[in-house]
Amino acid sequence: MSNPFRDELVARARPETCTVVIFGATGDLTHRKLIPALYNLAVDGDLPAGVQILGFARRDWTDDYFRESLGKVNREVSRTGHDDAVWGPFAESIHYHQSEFQDTGGYQRLAERLEEIDRRRGGAGNRLFYLASAPEFFDDIMQHLRDAGLNEEREGCWSRVIVEKPFGTDLPSAQHLNQVVNATFEESDTYRIDHYLGKETAQNIMVLRFANSIFEPIWNSRYIDSVQITCAEHFGMEGGRGGYYDKAGAMRDMVQNHLLQLLSLVAMEPPTDLSADGVRDEKVKVLRSLRRWDTPEEIAANVIRAQYEAGHVNGKPVVGYREEDRVDPESMTEAYVALRVLVDTWRWSGVPFYVRMGKRLPKKATEISIHFKDAPDVLFNALPGGVPGGNVLVIRIQPDEGISLRITSKLPGTSLRMEPVKMDFHYASSFGKSSPEAYERLLLDAMAGDATLFARRDEVEEAWRFVDHIEHAWHASGTPPPMASYVAGSWGPKEAEDMLAATGNDWRRL
Amino acid sequence: MAETLQMEGLGFEVPVGSIDGELKKLWEADEASTNASLMNFAVYSEDPGSLVRNSGIVREFTEEHACRAILIAMDREAGEADIHAWITAHCHLAHGRKSVCCEQIAFLLRGTAAGRMRNTVFAHLASDLPLVFWWQGELTDLFEESLYRLIDRFVFDSADWEDPAEGFARIREAAEDVQHRIVVQDLSWTRSNHFRLAVAALFDDLVAQRAIPEIEEVRIVAQPGHRTAALLMLAWLATQAQWRPGLELGLAAERAEGCDECHLFESRGGKSVTARIDWDAEGAPLGLLEIGAPDLMLRISREPGDTHLVHRLERAGHVLEQCGPADPDESAELVGSQLSRGGRNSLFRKVWPAFFDLLGAG
Repeated sequence: MSNPFRDELVARARPETCTVVIFGATGDLTHRKLIPALYNLAVDGDLPAGVQILGFARRDWTDDYFRESLGKVNREVSRTGHDDAVWGPFAESIHYHQSEFQDTGGYQRLAERLEEIDRRRGGAGNRLFYLASAPEFFDDIMQHLRDAGLNEEREGCWSRVIVEKPFGTDLPSAQHLNQVVNATFEESDTYRIDHYLGKETAQNIMVLRFANSIFEPIWNSRYIDSVQITCAEHFGMEGGRGGYYDKAGAMRDMVQNHLLQLLSLVAMEPPTDLSADGVRDEKVKVLRSLRRWDTPEEIAANVIRAQYEAGHVNGKPVVGYREEDRVDPESMTEAYVALRVLVDTWRWSGVPFYVRMGKRLPKKATEISIHFKDAPDVLFNALPGGVPGGNVLVIRIQPDEGISLRITSKLPGTSLRMEPVKMDFHYASSFGKSSPEAYERLLLDAMAGDATLFARRDEVEEAWRFVDHIEHAWHASGTPPPMASYVAGSWGPKEAEDMLAATGNDWRRL
Repeated sequence: MAETLQMEGLGFEVPVGSIDGELKKLWEADEASTNASLMNFAVYSEDPGSLVRNSGIVREFTEEHACRAILIAMDREAGEADIHAWITAHCHLAHGRKSVCCEQIAFLLRGTAAGRMRNTVFAHLASDLPLVFWWQGELTDLFEESLYRLIDRFVFDSADWEDPAEGFARIREAAEDVQHRIVVQDLSWTRSNHFRLAVAALFDDLVAQRAIPEIEEVRIVAQPGHRTAALLMLAWLATQAQWRPGLELGLAAERAEGCDECHLFESRGGKSVTARIDWDAEGAPLGLLEIGAPDLMLRISREPGDTHLVHRLERAGHVLEQCGPADPDESAELVGSQLSRGGRNSLFRKVWPAFFDLLGAG
């Protein structure tokens, strides 16, 4: 049975109607991201008819209270605004289920409730479980879903699970989490969400590389000198975030997932097709090819970790990392990390990928810059001073999404003077319409069974394998690399500058 | 230039031969603005008074679609042949931060100017960008090969045509002539976009899906001026459900007594499907679509002026009701929403055979 009226209607995989069960439904993620994303899909007419939402959480709330609470936040944060005419019927599809995560009876009642929803829908229905709770509850939730039989496919209907990051805190915990999840759901029904992959510009990396014929021939070590991936954040540990962050650090919080995903997209070989596994097969090969440094000394030379000291951000004084709320005053957790990564493949041999992420930097920006090799040392490069600046292709992920290319041009005049100029494409200038939020795209993809923008088990584990050997040198070796420092509001520690200077490079000024 | 014409909102008049130089000066005068362009957007009308109206439309259009706009108005009745040109820029704050501007060149062509019209347009296209050409009103003899061969996307509104059958015959001929390289977009088709999405969404329901072979009745209510929109929607239903045109039109009339326009189809399973179209001059352009099968009623409705459609599915004692977006009423907004979606519009072409049958049968 299929729906012929769907054919050729929209250029994307077809999302199927389902019941979305959100664990941790009273939390911030549900209120600020998931429900607004589902609501915006309804506003745009993209949400399949009959989708039901069932919030599962410990608090003693009712359907009405839950809806009211969600509506209040949606009014503040929804991308498309809040329209009561749409919210009214949409809210009718939202329900609340109170239970402890460890309560067996709660899952039996959940099963009954889902069956009741299915009955009203007229038969077995698809189920999409969303783990938005704290990770320590994942074991219990998976176990109980399995015991209640809620993970099983029935009468041609699927059951899928979306897992929110963090996917573990190191390789063993990630492997444990994967085992727990895959003991309940097949890998093909498991969707590990990394919202960076849902961003328009991240999706555009593959389009830029493989839908244009001019880039791929020069996308290799013959023409590219280095690649930089920067994720700068101007905020620190506001809103009690220090408690979580001081246990994680920049490497685990951002590099292991978001930045290594971006690196994979930049460095991957062309996939054989655009299927989820076609793309993810190539991404995981990149992660397997990342060079591991063998000694703490090698790691010290190639990975810089740092904490910020008191300084100024946006003209306001801010405290140092160790003085932040809920941060250990003796903390050895990095708020900044810079890495020199080598991808040991034929294509990238000898090309360093410089990756940096830091808190309390001057501004918020995430971008990838591809630095091309200089023109040969003849003609203009043979002149005194040479050619100022090389060619740089920049892919801006956020904010101000866009792409720019720096080229060298002659200044008007009778003398020969050259200056770098920038060709700049801004999404906001060319496409006035706002892009959907990453969660909108990703939720639809999960309903459609398209896992391309989700992390596969082996990707997650390979990324942890790379990160763990650095974490081990930091925290478990007898000669740990030092913790550098930088003034809040600056672009990071001097050691990170020196790391690039040693190879004749410098960080791109954002 | 023989005389200067005062046209509010079109910017300042420039000699046709100096347009490029004057545009350059326009940008040099304001360094704070960004010139953005993703397409050439030509708007053509044979109403000499259309320029000011279309300039207002383009001003709003450029908020979401960066383009070089070229407005052309023809006054074919004028005795002496001449051309007037104006240039201006439409600027908007992009995401509240910077001023993004789009150039507009407006032409008034008077007298016998067919050849000059093509030359005027083509001489002022931004290079390498696609040409979207919005033809307002009836197709005339100026819609011919040397024009349509250079167009990437041709936009028209069949609701403007007195004889849609003749107009579509010319469109089909042109599309075949260029082997369908031109994307053809009828705003009357765009008008039903969210109705179609709603039908698809409601038939995602498994019980509703099982009822597709059992569909017996379709009812559409539309404004009398939007017959082609109603027929296109019906043609889409018939094409996707693989209904064949029914032969017994007498039976159709009998079964749909009192309807304004009736069509009969035969489903894949050999069942007859009766479609009736009723006109409501006071309603929305497309006001209602009902699809009925035993134990199932699907209803999508819109009140005039509403920005939402109400979707309702009744089956086996269960009612599902929700709201979804409606397509805009204004032609300019329809053009914009279709351009946002992009694509080759292949589904529109797919329904042509069924649509042409219905158009002829009406």
